[in-house]
Amino acid sequence: MSIAWQLLRRAAVALLLFAAMACLTFLAVEALPGDACTSLLGRAATENKLEQCREENGLNEPVVARMVDWGCGAVQGDLGYSIKRDAPVTEIIAPRLRNSLVLAGVAGLLAFPAAVVLGLYSAQRRGSRRAKLLDTASLVMMTLPEFVTAAVLWLVFSIWLPILPAVAVLPSDATIGEILPTIWLPAITLAVMVFAHVMRSMRSSVVATSARPFVEAARYRGLPERAVLLRHVLPAALPPAVNVMAVTAAWLLTGTFVVEVVFNFPGLGRLAVDAISDRDTALILALTLFGLAVFILSSFISDTITRLLDPRVRAGVGA
Amino acid sequence: MDPYDGNRFWPAINMVFDRLIGVDKDFNPIPELATEWSSNADLTEWTLTLREGVKFHDGSEFDSADAVYSIGRMVDPEFDSPVRAVLGIIESAAAPDPQTLVLRLSAPEADLPLLLADYRALMTPEGSAETVGDDPIGTGPFKMEKLDPEGTSRFVANTDYFFGAPKLSAIEIPAIADNTAATQALAGGQVDLLLSIDAKSAAEFSDTSKFTVQNIPSGDWNAIDFRIDQEPFDDPLVRKALRIAVDRQALTDLVLGEGAGVPTCDTPVWSGDPFRWDGDCAQDIEGAKALLKEAGYPDGIDVEVFTSDVEDNMVELVQVYQEQVKPAGIRVTLTMADASGYWDDVWMKEPAFVDSWGQRPAVQVLNEVYRSTATWNPTGQQDPELDAMLDEARSIADPTARAAKYQEIQQYLFENTAIFVPYHKTLVRAMGANVKGIEPIVIDAVRWEKIEVG
Repeated sequence: MSIAWQLLRRAAVALLLFAAMACLTFLAVEALPGDACTSLLGRAATENKLEQCREENGLNEPVVARMVDWGCGAVQGDLGYSIKRDAPVTEIIAPRLRNSLVLAGVAGLLAFPAAVVLGLYSAQRRGSRRAKLLDTASLVMMTLPEFVTAAVLWLVFSIWLPILPAVAVLPSDATIGEILPTIWLPAITLAVMVFAHVMRSMRSSVVATSARPFVEAARYRGLPERAVLLRHVLPAALPPAVNVMAVTAAWLLTGTFVVEVVFNFPGLGRLAVDAISDRDTALILALTLFGLAVFILSSFISDTITRLLDPRVRAGVGA
Repeated sequence: MDPYDGNRFWPAINMVFDRLIGVDKDFNPIPELATEWSSNADLTEWTLTLREGVKFHDGSEFDSADAVYSIGRMVDPEFDSPVRAVLGIIESAAAPDPQTLVLRLSAPEADLPLLLADYRALMTPEGSAETVGDDPIGTGPFKMEKLDPEGTSRFVANTDYFFGAPKLSAIEIPAIADNTAATQALAGGQVDLLLSIDAKSAAEFSDTSKFTVQNIPSGDWNAIDFRIDQEPFDDPLVRKALRIAVDRQALTDLVLGEGAGVPTCDTPVWSGDPFRWDGDCAQDIEGAKALLKEAGYPDGIDVEVFTSDVEDNMVELVQVYQEQVKPAGIRVTLTMADASGYWDDVWMKEPAFVDSWGQRPAVQVLNEVYRSTATWNPTGQQDPELDAMLDEARSIADPTARAAKYQEIQQYLFENTAIFVPYHKTLVRAMGANVKGIEPIVIDAVRWEKIEVG
């Protein structure tokens, strides 16, 4: 089977998976008690007002009809309308997505290169005092809850030496230039966690690869250590780390609820928390599906990269 | 920004709009857009004189036609504004001349000036129903420059304000939903004022050289309501037993935090209200047992109370209640209901449930929550005697005699009511030490034009 054919098949499976999950999500949101109208009206919900609101927003149609309607819209890029926020969902999500992308990008840039290099270093020099220190530090960073990191950063950067704003206080239509000064504390908080995960997986993957026979063989052939590392260890050790990085990147984009809320950062995470507390069903649905899409896409991409990086796959053997 | 809409942007409406009548820090009515008011002898018709020379932000004159229009929207049954629950008693509004407003009521009401001081009873320009939401034009101390409820909204000074130009040139209101984030924003100097913080975070601002913290007794309360149309709560003896078995001070401290609430003896009238009754309602386990026995429950009773985390404190209230009433033979089961359907499916429907109300003056809260014909009558109470007392109270013109009547009503409630009200909440407001001009009083009486940041 050629790689192209394999990829095509995987893409089709990913799409099917997404469609099935979309249906499930729609029904799950539907099954929640209350609807967009009860949440909009709250305690002021009288029978009359509810009926009027449902009529106006087409909530009286049968579930299946609304699901098909929603699906057809979604395919054309229309993710529905938020009654609570009185705006199309795509319009609400777009600026938040941009902000989350910038945040994830900054956190990723802070974390990934350092994690790969230091993971390699710690594996190569394992047993040394520096490597041990690095390992312990990464373990602490990995287990530190986000709000603890946040509290420490606040104390240092916005109270002791007040050089960075504690939380984002921004207009909804803030430009990237306006957002950047507020991005550092949340980005560092995320980077601490992500760095630790990626570094540790990089380290263990290098350690495991180094013990493999083909690496031993390269050493016996008298190759210099540097060449062994770059030409033999790294290519084989990277794919598992790339997998972890892809999943982490997806998490950076969709799982940053705590960090965004605590730093009041106007990204998707905070939007999702607000949407849930407002019971803004259209928005919850769109955000859940967006998260799904990001994860399915990221595992598809990491899968592809792994296959392309793996010398055995490239050579058409195994896999 | 429509002040009569249930989804109004509440922090800002009082910056942009004015009421006819305001309140001072002791909750006495004071002039705002109306300078004088008086009623006929039987308190069914009130005549207000409006302030002259007041201009809306767009330069147009404020007159009685705007007032008639505004009140018309507040009481419009079709629109069904939340303000209608307060001022629904107004039958018609007339404008005999541009400076005079005449309000005719469906029943006598001595406290109409206080009802008009509701923080939402604001004056909007004639014909503004369609535009006021996005483009609010008021007479207030600040004009809206940008409305951005999920980002930062901005309001700039109205230098022609009739009470004098505001001391601040602009006020910005950033959206910070998370409590921790909000307290950090104040600690880091990014914001100057937090209208309300969690009582437990007040310690962070204990450095008085940097911060000012105000504890403001408010009229917000929680309750456990028992449906009078269900057994065993139809029996007033059982109802009283359920209420007197509680140590209110301890419950208040446990649920809200030390000093974060004022205990109350089942009266919804708060401690700052001139009509408040302060009774003695110490815990009485033996008394509760005796009442239950007399009602035919010598072995105690089982009660299922529904609650939800739809608001803070609502679950803790039942947990503490459950423990405190146990010795009196009242066995409480706590049932958690889903937050999203709570106000729809549980509240006013289950036999016993947790309730939550915002501050209202005595006359309003008693008529809105306790009267047999009230829109909200959460316990299904039908008590002609109470209704007659309420009618009588609102038709007494003399304030001292009226206060006495309202206190008598609260005392009557303590004997009979099915609404267990243990406390009123104390709000905690925090600001930078450089912020001046905010009196330690609830938001209804804050004068935004007097605030300065040094």
